[in-house]
Amino acid sequence: MQELIKFENVKKTYNIGEKSFNALDGADFSINKGEFVVVLGPSGAGKSTLLNLLGGMDKVTSGSIIVGGKDISKYNDKQLTEYRAENIGFIFQFYNILPTLTVLENVELVDSIVKNPKDAKQILKEVGLEEHYNKFPNQLSGGEQQRVSIARAIAKDPLLLLCDEPTGALDSKTGVEVLKLLKKQCDANNGENTVIIVTHNSLIAEVADRVIRLKNGKVESNTINKNPKNIEEVNW
Amino acid sequence: MLARKMFRDIRFNLSQFITIFLMVFIGIMAYSGIRSYMYGMTKSAEIFYEEQNLQDLEAMAPNFTDKDIEKVKKIDHVKNAERRLTIVGNMDSDKDITLQMNFIEENEISTFYVVQGESFNKEKSGLWLDEYFANKNKIKLGDTIKIKYDGETLEEKVLGLIIVPDHVYDIKDESAIFPTHTDYGFVYMSINEFPKSYVKKQAMQKAGIDDEKIFDMAVKDFDYKDYLTFNYLLVDVDEDENKNYVKNEIEKELKNVLAVTKAEDTLSYATYQGEIEEGETYCGVFSGLFLFIAILSVITTMTRVVKKQRTQIGTLKALGFKNGRITMHYVGFGFWIALFGAVLGLIVGPLFIGNVFINEELEYYEVPNGRAVVSTRGFIVAAITVLVITLVTYFTCRKELKENPAETLRTQMPRVKSKNLNFTTKGIFKNMSFGSKWNLRDIFRNKARTIMGIAGVTGCCMLLVCGFGMFDSMNKFLDDQFDKLYNFDYKLSIKQDYTNEQYNKLTERFGESTSQTLMIEIENGDVKDANNIFVDNSKGYVRFVNHKGDFIDLNDDGVFVTEKLASVKGYKIGDTIKWHIYGKDKYYETKIVGLDRDAQNQNVKMTKKYLESLGIEYKPDAIYTNDDLSGVKEIDGIELIQDKNALKSGTANMLDTMKMMLVLLIVLAAVLGGVIIYNLGILSFTEKQYQFATLKVLGFKDKQIKKIYIKQNNWIAIISIIIGLPLGFYMTDYIFKMALSDSYDFGASIKMISYVYSAIGTWIVSFVFSKLLARKIGKIDMVTSLKGNE
Repeated sequence: MQELIKFENVKKTYNIGEKSFNALDGADFSINKGEFVVVLGPSGAGKSTLLNLLGGMDKVTSGSIIVGGKDISKYNDKQLTEYRAENIGFIFQFYNILPTLTVLENVELVDSIVKNPKDAKQILKEVGLEEHYNKFPNQLSGGEQQRVSIARAIAKDPLLLLCDEPTGALDSKTGVEVLKLLKKQCDANNGENTVIIVTHNSLIAEVADRVIRLKNGKVESNTINKNPKNIEEVNW
Repeated sequence: MLARKMFRDIRFNLSQFITIFLMVFIGIMAYSGIRSYMYGMTKSAEIFYEEQNLQDLEAMAPNFTDKDIEKVKKIDHVKNAERRLTIVGNMDSDKDITLQMNFIEENEISTFYVVQGESFNKEKSGLWLDEYFANKNKIKLGDTIKIKYDGETLEEKVLGLIIVPDHVYDIKDESAIFPTHTDYGFVYMSINEFPKSYVKKQAMQKAGIDDEKIFDMAVKDFDYKDYLTFNYLLVDVDEDENKNYVKNEIEKELKNVLAVTKAEDTLSYATYQGEIEEGETYCGVFSGLFLFIAILSVITTMTRVVKKQRTQIGTLKALGFKNGRITMHYVGFGFWIALFGAVLGLIVGPLFIGNVFINEELEYYEVPNGRAVVSTRGFIVAAITVLVITLVTYFTCRKELKENPAETLRTQMPRVKSKNLNFTTKGIFKNMSFGSKWNLRDIFRNKARTIMGIAGVTGCCMLLVCGFGMFDSMNKFLDDQFDKLYNFDYKLSIKQDYTNEQYNKLTERFGESTSQTLMIEIENGDVKDANNIFVDNSKGYVRFVNHKGDFIDLNDDGVFVTEKLASVKGYKIGDTIKWHIYGKDKYYETKIVGLDRDAQNQNVKMTKKYLESLGIEYKPDAIYTNDDLSGVKEIDGIELIQDKNALKSGTANMLDTMKMMLVLLIVLAAVLGGVIIYNLGILSFTEKQYQFATLKVLGFKDKQIKKIYIKQNNWIAIISIIIGLPLGFYMTDYIFKMALSDSYDFGASIKMISYVYSAIGTWIVSFVFSKLLARKIGKIDMVTSLKGNE
């Protein structure tokens, strides 16, 4: 398998008042192309920081992050913006869809930033929202909103899908539906797409190709799951 | 897509954005409206003056002879000159109407603008009447009117209704201030219409011959034309820069000339121009205030929108939108709204405000074809406003937009520097109630918001003080001028050529309370300033006051000058001023022995005794009396009878128009205050919602939370009132000082009760809007409020 991501001694320090604390404290790991990855860890372990750095939303204090052979930790703001626009799809715990745009408009939003976006209506159909094109987000349930968010991320056809607690605000049944969609995205494109899910729900790890455990800003373990379970097989 | 988002965002925050829109709209509307009427007045007068060939110089003398006019025409740069006999008569009607009669030989300078009827023709018998006066008195073309003058009655048909460029501002007497066109107007006639028998009578009187036969024998082939007198001369000069030269030449050539006045120094021209400049001050102050509020609203609203949309900004960034585009999107809010408001203001301002004002003004000032004209300055100010609002929007959003996306997505917690707030746990603050402590800390954490709140409510309070204060000040002006300084009921202007017999009769009837006004020129270095000396022999009928408004007496050791004149010219008590009487070469040097205050006229005053000590003969031109002269229209030897109460009500009329504006001002003040409080209230409410929800969860009652919330607004209102009351006074004073020309001297004079009204008004506005906002506390949904902050 081809290596896609490599973290080399990545540190991220936050200064709060006069104190400082290391959210990531020398993290080292790598991820291969096409993997369905779960990052596990208790709160404060540095999971979200890892995702933010990987997604080009924040900058490292030291160390380097190589994505597809390029060191994105050396990128300036402009390059990072381009990197996000072209390569990354984000999915957040609280969906973060724009409340004043309709479902369809939220997905069409990416048309104005990427060169070859997917057809918004087609994607919404794939995530099962074809009935809700013209609804506003506040008219939808949590699971539906998360599906809009997934549709928006997928519309960019990103190399890398980064999901921060995507099921955290959802009930388990809806959560399963969302996970299925994410897995489907990972398998699409001849298995070239990589999906990284950050969660503290260790059950999700059972379906992952690779599980990375974080503790106090360091990688505790980075294991490959030889026999990932089917999503239906997991006892939620 | 982002444009659609902006449109919807605006819709969902409509009340906030409407504030910005309204303030920009009102500000630009007021500015461009007032500017366009001022510019319209300037333009229409310019055209009027140009097309009707307003005289460049106007000279006054007891008489301009044929030879005089030949001399003037020979002076270099003089294009033309014509003379005029101007006298004042009474119209024969049941009302007390004065008419200024002008007898002319030709009409090439200051020509008639004929509204109706025919143009001037020397050979035609009849008169041309002031169109404004005709309108007000319902006199039509072809009507016949009778005018009485010194025992003669002229009966003339109205041949034309006219407007004349040197009668734009035309009043009976300088104390009338405001032209009403009801009891005073002007007429023009050919000199041929001047009663020949009257000329002969005058000639006989001069010669001291009573018997006409003897006179006819003494003066063979009497031609009345040789005995006509012309007291005005109008001169047309080729270029403006030669006016001074020609003025000096006329003064040199004609020994008997009393005064040569440049067009721009005439009462008509200067008053009109002064009126235009007055608008400039109002326009600047009020538009400025609205734009200031618009900027405040932009800051508060955009801060709120951007804060509220932090996660959305973060999301857009995470999606890969470039910073520039996100910035453009948020700056667009300010830009489009300001642009929309400004464009609409530019259209509506001149159309409504501009035309209403100009029509109002041209009810009094006689200028034809007045129309509001948009000035370039209006466009420039509108453009600058849009730019400023856009920039302010940019600076407001910049901080949020500059953060990196990960940070933006994190919910912002208020940064508390614990040191700064430590004092609230010590000393007198220790025993404060929870609510007070909470508010105190909230204020210190949100200094910018608090300062803006105070600025806005202070503005409201200032406007209220200004509204009430202008009212007070103008009433005080009326009282001062008419009740304090004028201690008479009637002022009688004595005819210039009165006989001793007439004068004796007058003093027998009315007593010897008289005054004389001397036209003088004061030498100030190289410049000569036209002014006048009021010589007082009124024996208390005309009074004088000092700075504080206490009565003072003139003394016989020197002259008094008015305070304003002294301050403009830098005179001090003990200085000497050098002056000469118009038409005479002799200079006098007199010492200033005191200052007095006069709201309306800035001049020099002295006693009769002091005048005589200078070797000048006292020749009274006015008599004062408290006799009841109502209904009396003519007194032998008297040119004009002026009733103090009529003067006062004329001025009061003018003030009535202003009162409407003041009411508008007061209403606007309330709106302004309300808008600011509501705006900031919503802003602070959003910030505090989480805290209030927490308090609610803890078991605080809505009522208790409301009390805490309203408390802060009450504090802000009180602080603002304390700042706003004195600032309101200064603003009113500034407006009066800037708006009024050098001849006026009255500052703000605001009654205690007006301050009380303003304070209560401000407080009520603050309280009502706080109450309205506090109602939202009951609607806080604990679950969503708390979850939103996870």
